[in-house]
Amino acid sequence: MTESTESPDLQRQSGLTRLKEGTYGGLFAACAAVTLLTTVAIFATLLYDAVVFFSEVPVIEFLTSTSWSPNPRGGGQSFGIVPLVIGTITVTITAAFIALPVGTLTAIYLSEYATPNARSILKPLLEILAGIPTVVYGYFALVYITPALKATLFPEMSTFNALSAALMVGIMTIPMVSSISEDAMSAVPDDLRQAGYGLGATKFEVSTGIVVPASISGIASSYILAVSRAIGETMIVVVAMGAQARMPAVQEAFGVPFINPADVLLESGMTITVAMVQIANGDLTGGTIPYDSMFALGLTLFVVTLVMNVLSDIIAQRYREEY
Amino acid sequence: MATDTDTGTASAEGFGEVSRVRGIIFEYLSLGASVLGIFALAVLLVYVTIDAFDLTNASPEWLLTYFLTLVVPFLAFCLYSANDRELTRRAAGVLGGGLVAVAVVFTAIEAFVTQIPRLSWQLAYLFVVVFPLTGYVTYVGSSGRVGGVGFGLVGRLIGGTAIGLALAVLFLVFDARLWFLAYTLGIVPALASYAYGRFRERPGASTAAVPVGIVGVLVAVFLRPVIDTYPTTAFIYLWTLAIPIAAAGALVVGARGSRTEAIAAGGVPLALATVVGLFGGILGLGVGGPNALLVIAVAGVPTAVYLQRVFDAGDGVIGLGLPVLLVVGALVGALVVEAFGFPAPDPWIDGSFITEAPSRTPADAGLYPAIVGSVIIIAMVAVLSFLLGVGTSVFLEEYTANSGIVGALTRLLQINIANLAAIPSVVYGLLGLGLFANLLGLGYGTAVTVSLTLSLLILPITIISAQEAIRSVPDDLRRGSDAMGATRWQTTKNVVLPEAFPGILTGTILALGRAIGETAPLIMVGAATTVFSAPNSLFDKYSAMPMQIYAWAGFPQADFRYGVVAAGVITLLIILVGMNGTAILLRNRAERGT
Repeated sequence: MTESTESPDLQRQSGLTRLKEGTYGGLFAACAAVTLLTTVAIFATLLYDAVVFFSEVPVIEFLTSTSWSPNPRGGGQSFGIVPLVIGTITVTITAAFIALPVGTLTAIYLSEYATPNARSILKPLLEILAGIPTVVYGYFALVYITPALKATLFPEMSTFNALSAALMVGIMTIPMVSSISEDAMSAVPDDLRQAGYGLGATKFEVSTGIVVPASISGIASSYILAVSRAIGETMIVVVAMGAQARMPAVQEAFGVPFINPADVLLESGMTITVAMVQIANGDLTGGTIPYDSMFALGLTLFVVTLVMNVLSDIIAQRYREEY
Repeated sequence: MATDTDTGTASAEGFGEVSRVRGIIFEYLSLGASVLGIFALAVLLVYVTIDAFDLTNASPEWLLTYFLTLVVPFLAFCLYSANDRELTRRAAGVLGGGLVAVAVVFTAIEAFVTQIPRLSWQLAYLFVVVFPLTGYVTYVGSSGRVGGVGFGLVGRLIGGTAIGLALAVLFLVFDARLWFLAYTLGIVPALASYAYGRFRERPGASTAAVPVGIVGVLVAVFLRPVIDTYPTTAFIYLWTLAIPIAAAGALVVGARGSRTEAIAAGGVPLALATVVGLFGGILGLGVGGPNALLVIAVAGVPTAVYLQRVFDAGDGVIGLGLPVLLVVGALVGALVVEAFGFPAPDPWIDGSFITEAPSRTPADAGLYPAIVGSVIIIAMVAVLSFLLGVGTSVFLEEYTANSGIVGALTRLLQINIANLAAIPSVVYGLLGLGLFANLLGLGYGTAVTVSLTLSLLILPITIISAQEAIRSVPDDLRRGSDAMGATRWQTTKNVVLPEAFPGILTGTILALGRAIGETAPLIMVGAATTVFSAPNSLFDKYSAMPMQIYAWAGFPQADFRYGVVAAGVITLLIILVGMNGTAILLRNRAERGT
């Protein structure tokens, strides 16, 4: 009795409809596949030339040698990443000194103190900081910040230096810290705050003693993301920091070796990204060791930022306080 | 959510005094932190503006003249539109009080603390008081009816001109003749077939539209080398762009107005464009040619449609005077400056900066080839990343399941997209270099290589924002469509995408804003730092605005550092502000609509 040849085509067996559905579904899936292919392609491109590079320059030498000179005039290339890492760390740490505290305080202000009106003005303004092209920041650092610092605080500063570049990187990464941290803080349930007030806590105590600890996983993950962004930042340092791969002089006081921060901050230096850009400005046709070294550096950068992103993700997921 | 519990109440009797000092200090500290970055950026922007417009050399008389002829009438217009007595009083108070305050404070700082480089108190007044006030009053005024009409008109004129010029730039490299054939053989028949099916209720004809179009375009590609006589460029623009735009405008007006109005809205700009475009050069007007035709058609039709709507509504018509007010103000200002011989600044950013090629001498340096490069690259990135972004987000939101193997795959895709968003742009540059430039042989720094690289770079951002837009479409609408027997694609096409379109467009434009300022990947794929003539093929070596800024920033001469680069930076930022402003307007309009 269930013969229903005249019922509507609920199974959509009609050939044209199915073909159309299938075509569009396939097209969308292909688009999605492009994102996966991009990751694979990035990894493959980097690895392919990096492997060639490491067959010429041993990994150990790459990681431990203290001299970076891919295109020396008088011969004797050397590919040691250490000075580049020092440059990168200098910029990153200095930038973090600005972005992390300022970003956290901004997040606290936006989430706990600001009126809805103030928040609706401040948040888009902060987003502008992240939207300015980085080459413009680099130009600012070179043309305005460095002369200003030279005229006031550090007369011995060189024209290209790590400090002004790092200051701009710090300002650029503020919104990254503040927006993710603020999201985490806003997610803290109001009950917790009210409980704090009920116990007689002041607003300051609630903000710093309840909201911040409760959202610490989000804050930490925003820190890691901001640092990873600072490590990969290119144009600010390219324009403002110069391109000299230098090893700072190690000094010694009371038997403890140390590096004078002024030696790295006020002088020009080179980060991993600057090294890549410098080679790209000269040689792109491939087949040479400097060309391959670009990909080795890119691979290093890729792995470091990837690890940091995954770490930030894990922290945000695993250590999130569930309410 | 912050609660506004007053901490002071804790000091009721029996609880003892609670120190509020620490809390207050902390509150102001965090407020200071919030505005620190914004303040730093604002100061830098002030300096770059001063440099680009050479305002250090602007005499106080010059500033005063333009303040009176341009700023004051504009403020009056906005205040009239806001129609708020209290606001008018306060604005006047800020303007007057600010003048005294800035003059006193500035002089005091100069006298007792330190010299402030390259700022005079007049400029400080301009940047600290006048511009923020103008911004605020503009914001308030634009929500009034008169202001809304005025800004709507100015926006259409400027936006239309910009889009018209961008189209003209695109035809520098895209073959206008091929477009002519493809349009005539592919797009027109496809549209005709679709319209026929739609209005005569023949679904078959609608379905045939896409295949007909594809076949037509393929035939066009085949015929392009075979045919060797073509109409002039002006005629191609007229037939393929101006007429359809005018027709679309007439249709829009016709949907709500009379037939005469519809014909006028489409016909008047079309006639103007035709006359200027075909005969302007002959009549010796100084303007003319195909590009003028294009600009007049693209800017004129939306303006005419808008005018019809305003006159139809009959409300705030006086607001249409805003462009006249601004132009007359600028002219009067220029006349006064000329007549009295006030020392005027010599801005680095001016007409010749936009229209000339780079040069070794700062005074001749221009940004034209870089702007052309940026426009072409961004247009291609826009198409690519929009299509890929929409496709991926529709797949992730509408087509995949959340559980089982497919669900795991979806999560993998999602994590992958999040990670792609965080990969440094310089690494994308290496991808472009290794894959597109070297392996596929698309060339170093060509438009194709650069735009493929940039599309992949902004793809994650586009996808994430498109997903949010699609997710915000209410599920009821989908279920309603499903219940009527629609297939998944029909639901997506007829319900989800139209609803989510403004959000997707906003996200794409914001992502394009990121792409237009990217420099590092361009360097890695070998884009030129400087090219001296506009490209005429997709496989030429391209430059782009940020590349040119990067190149100029390396020049040691002060005129470059403090003049030409500043002008380039301001040009880039103005374009960015225009794009992001459009995106925000779109978003606001969509939010108001729902």
